[in-house]
Amino acid sequence: MTIRGGAPGGRAPTGAGDDLSNLLSRIATRDASAFAALYKQTNAKLYGVVARILTRGDAAADALQEVYVRIWEKAGEFDPLKGSPLAWMATIARNRALDEVRRVRPVSLEDQPEGFEPAAEEIDPLAARERSEGLSALVDCLKALDEEKRAIVLLAYYRGSSREALAKRFGRPVPTIKTWLHRSLAQLRDCLAS
Amino acid sequence: MTISPDDDFAAAEYALGTLDPSERATLAARRLREPELDEAIRSWEARLAPLAEAAPEIEPPRDLWPAIEARIRGASPDAPGNGTIVELERSIRRWRAMAIAASVLAGVLAIGFVAREATRQSAPREYVAILQKDAASPAFAVTVNLDKQELTVRPVAAQAPPGKSYELWIIDAKLGAPRSLGVIGDTPRGASLSAYDPAVVAGATYAVTVEPPGGSPDGKPSGTPVFVGKLIPVSP
Repeated sequence: MTIRGGAPGGRAPTGAGDDLSNLLSRIATRDASAFAALYKQTNAKLYGVVARILTRGDAAADALQEVYVRIWEKAGEFDPLKGSPLAWMATIARNRALDEVRRVRPVSLEDQPEGFEPAAEEIDPLAARERSEGLSALVDCLKALDEEKRAIVLLAYYRGSSREALAKRFGRPVPTIKTWLHRSLAQLRDCLAS
Repeated sequence: MTISPDDDFAAAEYALGTLDPSERATLAARRLREPELDEAIRSWEARLAPLAEAAPEIEPPRDLWPAIEARIRGASPDAPGNGTIVELERSIRRWRAMAIAASVLAGVLAIGFVAREATRQSAPREYVAILQKDAASPAFAVTVNLDKQELTVRPVAAQAPPGKSYELWIIDAKLGAPRSLGVIGDTPRGASLSAYDPAVVAGATYAVTVEPPGGSPDGKPSGTPVFVGKLIPVSP
């Protein structure tokens, strides 16, 4: 391991993301011990993100491995001004899981074996006790959506549910789901901007 | 923002994850060439990202860390912020998105494998082979990325004869007999190339044979290859 002087400077870490921000800047200088510490602190969180979308355990584990390799490679691109370290890592994790689950393949990962459901409980961010500023703002905007439309957005986010899966679950045609998604997302965007 | 409302919805659905596979692949390819679309996707990701805070933790398998550690050891000890590395990463990103896009058009088989310790830093890390029937008709594109430890087979214009399967082989003098890399069209997640030296992976001949459904019954090619090619490095 070589530690070089190239760490992104001028970052004044603030708030609860302090430790992770520091770890990410050290990882950007190829600090393997920082990477180990980051893994320790975040692996269950990121697996929680990935495994709800890729419900097949081996696929979720493969994806998580790729996610951390990517974090190792991309740590220098993390910009604390654009969001929390966890949000940045979770976005990498979700994208990896979504790329996997939305890939055209002979056997769909959505055809999961019966009875395998790592986390069947629905996640309700509205009930979260501890919220960052970002989550509070988003929750306030989510509250303004109808219950059903909110549920659709949350299932898509946490489960990676496709439009088809949502249509089936809510007994609505796919175009209706699409229209609802567009309206809900536009409403969220406008609400967050206000 | 100068993108159309339709594109902004597409960006939103990309970030949320509800695009269907072909739409997702199309957008993944477009964002590489359209900075405004890319920015719109990033904005949507940032809007939604706080939701991840509320996702309860799940313990991953315990054996995952050693695998990750091995990956970063094999691929990393290089100067951070090096311009060439950034360029290479960009080209890898572009290549990956194109591979995803192509997968939708052609269907794709990806075999994840754990290549051994990466070869020398200066060695090329990405390779491609076109397995051809003849010069005019490319049939399969094989892409190998040693950093990402991925091998991707993309059928360009090939359909297995009815009731038959295509099987991919790696052939190299150092390996002795041809070794199967799996049946194209299955999802052979178990296929591991961990035993192969990256130098062998880079220098080997890749071949496709026509086999009974599900692949060769005895682990040997049933006939002469119908498509053959060698890897060439892709310059960053």
